[in-house]
Amino acid sequence: MKWLPLLLVATPVLAQEPAVPQFRAEPAALAHRFSGEWTFMVGGGVAAFDCSGDGKPELLMAGGTAPAALFRNDSTEDALRFTPIPAGVEMTDVAGAYALDIDADAVTDLVLLRVGENVVLRGLGNCRFERANEAWGLQGGDAWTTAFAATWEAGAPWPTLAFGNYINRAEEAFPWGSCTENWLLRPDGRRFAAPIPLTPSYCALSMLFTDWNRSGQPALRVSNDREYYKGGQEQLWHVVPATPPRLYSEAEGWQRLRIWGMGIAGADLDGDRYPEYFLTSMADNKLQHLKAPGPGTLPQYDDTAWARGVTAHRPYTGDDPRPSTAWHPAFADVNNDGFTDLFVAKGNVWEMPDFAEQDPNNLLLQGADGTFTEAGDRAGVASGLQARGAAVVDLNADGRLDLVVVNRNGPAEIWRNTGPVGHWVAIDPLQEGAPNRNAINGWVELRAAGRVQRQEVTVGGGHAGGTFAPLHFGLGPADQAEARVIWPDGTEGPWQPVPVDTVTQIRR
Amino acid sequence: MDLRRRHFLTLAAAALSAPALPARAAATGGTEKVILDWYRLILELVRHTATYSPPVAARAFGYLGVIAWEAQAAARGYPSLAGQVNGLPPRPNDRMARDPAAVMQGALTAGVRALFGNTGPTGQRAMNAMQKRLDALVGGRAADLAKGGEIAAHVLAWAEGDGGAHVQNLGFPDGYEPAKQPGAWVPTSDIRLQQAPLLPEWGRVRPMAMADGMACALTPPPPYDETPGSAFHAEAMEVYETSKTLTDEQKIIARFWSDDPMLSPTPPGHWISILIEIAARDALPAERLADALARLGMAQNDAFIACWQSKYEFNLIRPVTYIRRLIDPKWQTLLITPPFPEYPSGHSTMSGASAEVLTAIFGDGFTFDDATHADDGLPVRRFASFRAAAQEAAISRLYGGIHYRAAIERGLDQGACVAQHALRLKTL
Repeated sequence: MKWLPLLLVATPVLAQEPAVPQFRAEPAALAHRFSGEWTFMVGGGVAAFDCSGDGKPELLMAGGTAPAALFRNDSTEDALRFTPIPAGVEMTDVAGAYALDIDADAVTDLVLLRVGENVVLRGLGNCRFERANEAWGLQGGDAWTTAFAATWEAGAPWPTLAFGNYINRAEEAFPWGSCTENWLLRPDGRRFAAPIPLTPSYCALSMLFTDWNRSGQPALRVSNDREYYKGGQEQLWHVVPATPPRLYSEAEGWQRLRIWGMGIAGADLDGDRYPEYFLTSMADNKLQHLKAPGPGTLPQYDDTAWARGVTAHRPYTGDDPRPSTAWHPAFADVNNDGFTDLFVAKGNVWEMPDFAEQDPNNLLLQGADGTFTEAGDRAGVASGLQARGAAVVDLNADGRLDLVVVNRNGPAEIWRNTGPVGHWVAIDPLQEGAPNRNAINGWVELRAAGRVQRQEVTVGGGHAGGTFAPLHFGLGPADQAEARVIWPDGTEGPWQPVPVDTVTQIRR
Repeated sequence: MDLRRRHFLTLAAAALSAPALPARAAATGGTEKVILDWYRLILELVRHTATYSPPVAARAFGYLGVIAWEAQAAARGYPSLAGQVNGLPPRPNDRMARDPAAVMQGALTAGVRALFGNTGPTGQRAMNAMQKRLDALVGGRAADLAKGGEIAAHVLAWAEGDGGAHVQNLGFPDGYEPAKQPGAWVPTSDIRLQQAPLLPEWGRVRPMAMADGMACALTPPPPYDETPGSAFHAEAMEVYETSKTLTDEQKIIARFWSDDPMLSPTPPGHWISILIEIAARDALPAERLADALARLGMAQNDAFIACWQSKYEFNLIRPVTYIRRLIDPKWQTLLITPPFPEYPSGHSTMSGASAEVLTAIFGDGFTFDDATHADDGLPVRRFASFRAAAQEAAISRLYGGIHYRAAIERGLDQGACVAQHALRLKTL
C-alpha cells in the first residue's frame, strides 16, 4: 500500500467524486431465467461475444433446469434489444459458458459448463454452433462443473483448458469434503488429450489463467468455496509447457487463504504492471495487491479491500445489517474517466437467513486517489434479486459499457449505460494465422494524458461466464491515445496512435 | 447414506481397545446409532452454519446434549434434568415410551432442525436425508417419534429464554466503540465485519449448570505495562520469542487445535468429536453416551459464558497488537487472532471444562486417539489423558501467537471450575 500516500499527495483531482454513470433498466430487451434448486444454487453465467459480425456482442445465458439460450443483439444506440435464436446451444443443465476461438478459424467457439457432461461447441458462423466433443476429443466428464479458464501454452496448436468442478452431487447427508477433481485438458495436436486431474481440488467456483508475476508464463489461479472443501485453500498452479501442473507451495511464498471463493477479477489498478485480484466471497471480499512487485516477486498479497473501499461486505441500501454474498466480479471503466471501476453481482445463496436477502449489486467507482466509492444505487443497478453471473460490456456500440446480470430463479436484468460518455478506445489484438489468434494472456497497454492503463487478455474468471470482446479503455479528459500490445510470447509491439471513440484492431 | 468417512475407521479398532466402562447390557436397539449419526452431522452443521462461532456452537451442544439425555431419561426411566439445571421445568403428563431409539430419533430430529434452522441449503438437504434414513432405521411408532419431538420442544422452549437464542449479524454488534485506555482490546484484522468484538453480551447468557457467569470468576491478568521487564511485557516477550523458535511439532499442535469457525467444528465441536469417536470405538451404551453428551455439552456452554464474562470484564489487548506496537511492527502470528479480547483463552477454558467432564466419566489416564481433523489432512494425535489433551490445546494458543500464558493457565483453571457444576447433576 505504499503507493496510496504518494497518490494522495500527487493527485490534484483527489477531491473529485467519480462521475456516476446512469444505467437505464431495459426489462423488455431480453427475457431469460436461470432456474433450479440445489445443483443450480451456484452458476448462472453469461458469455458475451459477437457471433453475427456486427461488432455488438450476443449473449449466451446459462439456464440451469431451463435450456441455455443465445440472444442475438439487435440493439441500437437508444435501446437494447435481444432476440433468442436457435443456435445449437439449447441444452439444459448448463451452469456457465465461455467463448473463445479454439481452432483459430476466426469463428468463435463455446464451452458450456454443465451439471453433467461439459460440451464444447464449434462455431459454424452466423451464430450457429455444433457439438464438437467427439471431433475434438474433449472428454466432458460427468461432474458439477462451475469454473473454466483457457490459455495457449507456448508452442501449442490449441488452447489448454481448465475445468473447475464442485461437490459430488451424489452425496446427500455428507456432501462436505466431497469436492470432485478439477481437470486440465491439454491439446494433442488439433484434439484434446485425456484430462489431467488438478489434485487436490477444493470445489472451484472460479479459475483464471493469469500472468500474475509478469514472467510471460501464465499460472492458473483457482478460487475455492470453503463451504465444501476440507483441508483446502485458494490455489495457484504452475502450468508450464510439457511438464505436469504443480501447485505453488508455501516454500515458494504462497500464503494460505480460505474464503468462500466465488469469483476472480484481475486488473492493474495502480499502474505497477502487476495485476491486483478481486476475489468475491461472503461478507468481506478481498482485493489482493502484490506485496513486492518486481522481478522475482513471490506470490504474496496484502488484502487492500478495506483501504480501497471495496470490502462490499454488507448491503449499502436498506437497513439490513446482515453480510452480503458476492458472485461475479468485473473490473471495467463504466464512466470512461480512465480509472478502472468494479462491478460485483450480489445475491443470497438460497434462503440463508444469516445473510442479507435484499443484497444489491455493487458498482464501485474508482477515483483518482485509488479508492472506490459505492454508486450502485445512484447509477440504478442496485437490484435485490439473486444475482449470479454478469457481463459489463458495450452492448450497443456507443462507447459506454452496459450491464447484464443473470439472476437465480428470477428474470435476467439488463441495463443500458446512458452516460456521461467521455472518450474511449477499444483494442482488439489479433495474431493472424497464429494458434492463439486473440492473444490470450497478452497485455494491451494504453497511454493517454500521461498515464498508462493496461489490461490482460484472458478467458476465464468471473463467476461461470466471461466477456470475449475488444478491451475497453476510458480516456478521461484525454482526446488522443497510443496503444501497444505485449503479445503472449512477450514481444512488445510498438506504441501506435489509436483513434478515439472507436474499436481498433492491432494486428501482429 | 455414505458414512464412509474416517469416523468409521475407529470402529475397526474397537476390538483392540479395553472397554473404558463396565459393560452394561442395554437393549436400546439403534439408539446409539441414532445419536452418533446425528452428532456426526451436527459437527458438519456447526462448521457450515455461519452463526456458529464457538460460544454459539457450545450452546447448541449444551441443548442437544440435554435433549438427548431427556429422551433417554423419558424412555428408560432415568432422572430428568428438570429442576436440576437453571430454569428447566418438568414436562407435563410424562409417560414412558416403548422404543428409546424412536424417541431419540424424534428428539434429535426436532432439536437439530430447530437449532440449525438457519443453515444453508446443503445443510437443510443433509438434515432431510439424515431424518429419512434414520426414520427408516428405527422404524418406530409415530407416538414414540412424536414423544421425542415433544421432549425437544420442551427443551427448546427453555432455551429460547436464555439470552443467546438470537444472534444478529454473525455475532458482531453494530456501532461498537473500542475502549481507549492502554491495554484495551482493539480490532486485530482488516475484515470490516470484525471491527466489533464477537458477542460482547455473551457473559450474560443464562448458564445451564452453574449459577451465573460469575460463578467461576477469575483474578485479573498481570497489569498492563509497557515497561520492559514488567510481568506483562515478559508475557508478551514469551509469545514473541516462542514464535521465533517454533518447532515443527509446535506448529502442528497450534494448527491441530486451531479449530477455526467455519473451517472446523470449532473448539467445543473438537471435544464432541473426541467423545463420539470414543463412543463408537468402545460401543458406549446409549445411556452412557447421552449422559456424557449432556454433561459435556452443558459444561461447554457454561464454559463459554464464564469465559466471555471474564473476557469483557478485563477486555485485554491481544499479543499481535501489543507486540507490533512495542516490540516488532512486522510480527506475524501463526494463527489468525480471533476477533475478541484476550483474557482468558476461550479454548483453554472450554478444554479445561471438557477434560474434567470426560475424566470424571472415563477415568484419569484414559488413552485415546484424536482424528477430528483427519479429513482436513491433519495427523491423528494420541493423548495419554483428557487433561493432557486440554493442556496441549491450551498451550497451542501461545504457539499460535494469540494468547499470553496467564490466559492459558487460568483458562484451564476456570474450565475445571465450570465442569464441577455439570458433574454434580444427577443422571444415571
